[in-house]
Amino acid sequence: MKFSTFCVLVLCIIYALLQTVHASIGGYISPTDRNKFIQILKKSIKVEGDDIISPYYGIKAFKLLNIPFDTKDPICENIKKNFKYQSIESSFYTYSAYNLLACHGKIHTPEAIKAIQSVIESGKASISDIRYGLEILTTLKEQIPNPSKIAQALQAKLKEDDSLQNLGHALHAASLLGDSGKFALDRVEDIVVQADEVDGKLLQWEGGLTTTSLIITGLLRLPGATPLKSSQADKFANYLLTRKTVQTPKGVLALLEAAASLSLSTVSPVSISIIGPPQISAEKSELKIQVCSIFGVPHRVPPTPIELESVTKLADNSVVLSKQALKQGGSSTEFVLPLKLDPGLYKVIINAGPQSSDFVIRALGSLTVKSLEIGLSDSDGGAALKLTKLVYRNKLDKPLQADASQNLIIKFSLSRPVHQAFLRLHAAKREIIFVAEQDSSKLYLVEVNLEKELSENGNFEMELILGDALITNPVRWNLGNIEINLGSHLTKESPKALRGPKPDIEHLFRPAEKRPPEAVSLFFTGITAAPFLILLILWAKIGVNFGNFTALSLPFHVGFGAILSLFTLFWLKLDMFVTCAWLVPIGGFTFFSGHKLLSHLARSRKQEKADK
Amino acid sequence: MAQITTVLSKFYNEYKTRTPKRLKAIDAYLFYILLTGITQFIYCLLVGTFPFNSFLSGFISSVSCFVLAVCLRLQVNPENKTQFNGISPERGFADFIFAHIVLHLVVMNFIG
Repeated sequence: MKFSTFCVLVLCIIYALLQTVHASIGGYISPTDRNKFIQILKKSIKVEGDDIISPYYGIKAFKLLNIPFDTKDPICENIKKNFKYQSIESSFYTYSAYNLLACHGKIHTPEAIKAIQSVIESGKASISDIRYGLEILTTLKEQIPNPSKIAQALQAKLKEDDSLQNLGHALHAASLLGDSGKFALDRVEDIVVQADEVDGKLLQWEGGLTTTSLIITGLLRLPGATPLKSSQADKFANYLLTRKTVQTPKGVLALLEAAASLSLSTVSPVSISIIGPPQISAEKSELKIQVCSIFGVPHRVPPTPIELESVTKLADNSVVLSKQALKQGGSSTEFVLPLKLDPGLYKVIINAGPQSSDFVIRALGSLTVKSLEIGLSDSDGGAALKLTKLVYRNKLDKPLQADASQNLIIKFSLSRPVHQAFLRLHAAKREIIFVAEQDSSKLYLVEVNLEKELSENGNFEMELILGDALITNPVRWNLGNIEINLGSHLTKESPKALRGPKPDIEHLFRPAEKRPPEAVSLFFTGITAAPFLILLILWAKIGVNFGNFTALSLPFHVGFGAILSLFTLFWLKLDMFVTCAWLVPIGGFTFFSGHKLLSHLARSRKQEKADK
Repeated sequence: MAQITTVLSKFYNEYKTRTPKRLKAIDAYLFYILLTGITQFIYCLLVGTFPFNSFLSGFISSVSCFVLAVCLRLQVNPENKTQFNGISPERGFADFIFAHIVLHLVVMNFIG
């Protein structure tokens, strides 16, 4: 599985790289695109309302797409009703739409024509006005007055401002001026150079789709000019194809006009594509290939020869077929390539004249199960295998009876290896899936240790699932049932409580270390206490006089003794608070009596001194 | 060797005759505390420190008692009178008792 994913990824990258190398463009305006455009354009053709400019976009585009109008009369009526002269540009849209629809009657007046003629002749009109004026006169088949003077006016205006918009309009105007328009030929090279290249794949003029379309149509309209090289035309075509997502009627018209004029030019880009899914099988062994212009129509001069360059098997890069002419299909853009290939992924390179394009196709094959054996074995491998042979689509006559000591074994062989081979055991809402592994002799094997893999007894249905990206008939084969009895030792797992309180956590104190034997402890207690005896002996030897022990000193000694016994109690059972509560009165008493005793001693000592 | 014995005997005699009785009593107390501390330390080496807090409180109380007694001895010694001028022996003894009470409160708390 992983390897195949990796392969596909690599293929995609190779494919993407090759796309840029070869000259063929990446698609054309397909029927799906056309339908989408028609939906957008229909919105602009209104039967009511005083907007009489936008219907032009729809009407003109429908003409380009060669779609007839069913209801032209209400549109004509609406234009007629709402038309009034506003500007040369708006008049151009209205006159053109009216003319394209071939409505009855006229909406222009001789005065209006005169006005237009005088404006474009005056030398004061802008370039776009001159262009639209010329377009109107051409459309209405009126005479163009003094073409050389208009040409001079255009050149003067271009000197003032040669923006891309102006250049585009000037190209259109020049193409209508006959011989006087020849001045524009000098500017062609300059204009083409100004196009921006994106990633080496696209060419466009600054200003987006409208400007690019305006200039492309202008350049290709200019008589006597061969403005674009084939490679440039391809890049402009690629740019236009990236803008197929355009949503406004104006944008759609710009796209269609540019595509149409590219398609009709001598450098018409060639689109080579596969019709339908890129796959072949035994039933459908032909690959249909479409060779058309960007507009989806046949070329005026069809590229020849259209032939198969090569078919390469991707798995081992071996060339399977090469240099084969393609048969003409049902229409003039359709070609048929009969292919009989072993299942796998292939790269197909098609040449159309100098252009070429490559595709990755899948050749599908059918899968047959050659043999299948199913049975149970002892998990210790002791007893001999008893396997039952099954013919494809048949089920086991009676369910297998299995217990905990057995393994379920299924062996099968296929006409070709597959990526996905599974055994699925299922009962009610439970299912377990096992993967079949292929051994060295191309035999698939599933071995299920029932005791380890299953946790419950039950009657399971066995299903074999075989799948692959390159087969036409994936298999789901019900093999029959297996009754599994794992014995009574099976403990049913109690379902874990998902909610509710968690068990209490009991604090574990550090276990006490082993204490020394009691005798040792007592012995050392004795030894530790022994020096007290020495103290008493020493004191006796020194002859400490207890003569000063009077009734006065008794309270102090009692108080001090009380404090020490309180401490002993504190050690044995009391806590700090109780001890402190007791300590305050006893300590106060001891302090008081101690003070009295000591001051008495001090006084008597001083007296002794004084006596001396 | 003989010299050492003479030095020691002379020192002993001097101590016996020149040291006041009071200081001798304190010295005996110091000796007793020292022995107690040593015994505890030997116990710790031989048997082990468990329970550690009990050992610590016992040993530290020995050391502290020793220090406090030394302080008392310094204050009581008539030869140091110049340094502890304002402190009478009784005052020193009272301080000694008070410090002991506080010390043993802590020791008892810690002994467990």
